[in-house]
Amino acid sequence: MINLCNSSRFHFDQQLSYAEILSPSESRARIEVTVLNFLKLLNSPNPSISDLHLINRTSKNTRIARDLFKNEASSLFLSHSLSKKSLNRSNATQSFIRIWKVLEICYQILLQEKLVTQRELFYKLISTSPNYFNSQSQVNRSVQDVIALLRCSRQSLGIMASSRGILAGRIILQEHNQDKVIDCSLCGSSGYSITGDLNLLEKLVIKSDARYILVIEKHAIFHRLAEDKVFNQIPSILITAKGYPDIATRFLLHKISRNYPNLPILGLVDWNPAGLSILCTFKYGSIGMGLEAYKYACDVKWLGLRGDDLQLIPKESLVPLKQRDLQIAESMMNAEILQDGYKEELELMVNSHQRAELEALYCHGYDFLGKYIATKIVKNDYI
Amino acid sequence: MKRKRSRSEITDRNFLLKKIKDFTRSVVKNLCNGRSPVVILDRFQNYCTDQTGNCTCSFDLPKSREKLVSFQRECYTRRMDIFVRVLLIVQQLLQENKHASKRDIYYMHPSVFSEQAIVDRAINDICILLSCSRHNLNVVSVGKGLVMGWLRFAEGEKMFDCIKSPSTGHPIPVHVEEVKDIVSVADYILVVEKEAVFQRLSNDSFCDTHRCIVITGRGYPDVSTRRFLRLLIEKLCLPVYCLVDCDPYGFDILTIYRFGSMEMAYDAKSLRVPEIRWLGAFPSDSENYQLPEQCLFPLTEEDKKKAEAMLLRCYLQHEVPQWRSELQVMLQRGVKFEIEALSVVSISFLSDEYIPSKIQSAVHI
Repeated sequence: MINLCNSSRFHFDQQLSYAEILSPSESRARIEVTVLNFLKLLNSPNPSISDLHLINRTSKNTRIARDLFKNEASSLFLSHSLSKKSLNRSNATQSFIRIWKVLEICYQILLQEKLVTQRELFYKLISTSPNYFNSQSQVNRSVQDVIALLRCSRQSLGIMASSRGILAGRIILQEHNQDKVIDCSLCGSSGYSITGDLNLLEKLVIKSDARYILVIEKHAIFHRLAEDKVFNQIPSILITAKGYPDIATRFLLHKISRNYPNLPILGLVDWNPAGLSILCTFKYGSIGMGLEAYKYACDVKWLGLRGDDLQLIPKESLVPLKQRDLQIAESMMNAEILQDGYKEELELMVNSHQRAELEALYCHGYDFLGKYIATKIVKNDYI
Repeated sequence: MKRKRSRSEITDRNFLLKKIKDFTRSVVKNLCNGRSPVVILDRFQNYCTDQTGNCTCSFDLPKSREKLVSFQRECYTRRMDIFVRVLLIVQQLLQENKHASKRDIYYMHPSVFSEQAIVDRAINDICILLSCSRHNLNVVSVGKGLVMGWLRFAEGEKMFDCIKSPSTGHPIPVHVEEVKDIVSVADYILVVEKEAVFQRLSNDSFCDTHRCIVITGRGYPDVSTRRFLRLLIEKLCLPVYCLVDCDPYGFDILTIYRFGSMEMAYDAKSLRVPEIRWLGAFPSDSENYQLPEQCLFPLTEEDKKKAEAMLLRCYLQHEVPQWRSELQVMLQRGVKFEIEALSVVSISFLSDEYIPSKIQSAVHI
């Protein structure tokens, strides 16, 4: 079945650009090629400063992948359209040079076969090139430029990624080259910490007898469900990124979903635009994350908290939307990828100017959350 | 003659339930006799801003007493109402041996508890009344802290074996009272403020080459991190060093580890770690280790106000005058810097040079 799906893609994935996971020597090779191309053009009979070609990270270069069988949007990706960064354009000279500076430092780090954090990269850059860098966000943007140039992941460049994700439930993991297996149903309420190293995650061996995967927005809810061992009553896997999802958590979710494609993935988020945005990041990926994001999109369904659940919570638990919520709602409404059911929920949030947290369900007793989830799953009440 | 009860007996669930019953009985008795219920609460303060040196702040004893006579004022009546409601929820948690966080409790009656702070105060008051810690009431929050290094312990039925892979971080258990069988061959415990520094040490396999335990609270440490640290020190009796950024917030976190926070002042005796030593970063380190000027950032107005407020804390003068002078130097120089800035010298400078040399030459205060 998987082969049929793959062959029906008709090479559409040639259309998309993604960030590859490379070894240090491969990344160094790509940097060397970039430098050699630059020098070649400089040395040619008509010498010039070559432009850098980066994958365009704008909405114009965004495409939506549609699931062939279900005709609904399945993920966002960046296509091949390139934008040129040129030294000759006056407002782009600084960012052009910044890219080279980042390449230089990354090369050194890769030679040492070490990893640095983005903050450490920032300190290195402001001390070696103080004229070009003065803030962390500038460094982050230049790093994204380098990723768009070399088409490799941040970790391949030597920048370490941390993961906030944790896992619990009916899943057994075996780490690469380790005999010990980790049974996540015995991990207690603290769960199993997901490593930020994508190479290690790729090599994890997974076994599970769960029937559902629950993707949870907040740590507190994960903790409650893990403590009550909800995954034994409803055979499931609990996963959370403690907020906005990082790459590693999405990677692992995607991996589990690939291994067990028939497991429905159900999202538990607060009823507010930020919660929905987190759900959508798991579901579609995000352009803001650049090239790294699309690959790990999963078909996540919205279990709760939704509009028709509001009758379950007392009206004192509803609080007004903040300015930030309204901004998020507005940007999401305009996204073509958002399905109609979600748009209606967003409209309801904005029109009623209210939001609610999952914890509001505790007014019925703290074990109500487990019952609520079970009822909804049994009724197939997810969109 | 009444036998003096041990601490574990005092905080035993059943004993607390009995105390709650006794309290309720006394309230009902008062009401039946037409008298107002009275609650007498001790007020704890672990520091004040009295500069004369004659203050009575202490970590064990209350500073003052507050008497809430319910019928005297409306605000007392309201406080009593909230107090009793939260007490009811706590009783339920203890009876069923379930756990809930402060936020969960707020959501159980959001109309009565108009905001979270009211629930927080009621919980603190209950702890003071029953002479116990917050976790004894089964009120716990999710843990933030991480630990790695040469340590092995059991939490309930689960075994944490950090010794097998000493450079992998593990979350610090929330139910610290269930931690048993602590085994360690470490030489010292290192507490770091930020997760990024913890990651750096993990990435450099610091614990593989140095026999130690590394803990981070990931910013302001939560109660379970502090309790866990305290437990490790009691069981292992190892030196403890603290590594924070050279800025007012880092200093504040350092004082919280050492003296406890004002909010949990009533429980300071089980949360503070008087043995902790300040390893770095000192304001003088930026010169000693030749940090480039670009890595030093000016103190903002907020930073300066915070530093000035902290200088007034009485315990600094009494207990750690050296810390106080370093804070003064920081304020005078007007600059701050982060630990990550040290990576400019070389990526693994922190793990290879800075920490080992400081510990070896005992450069800590």
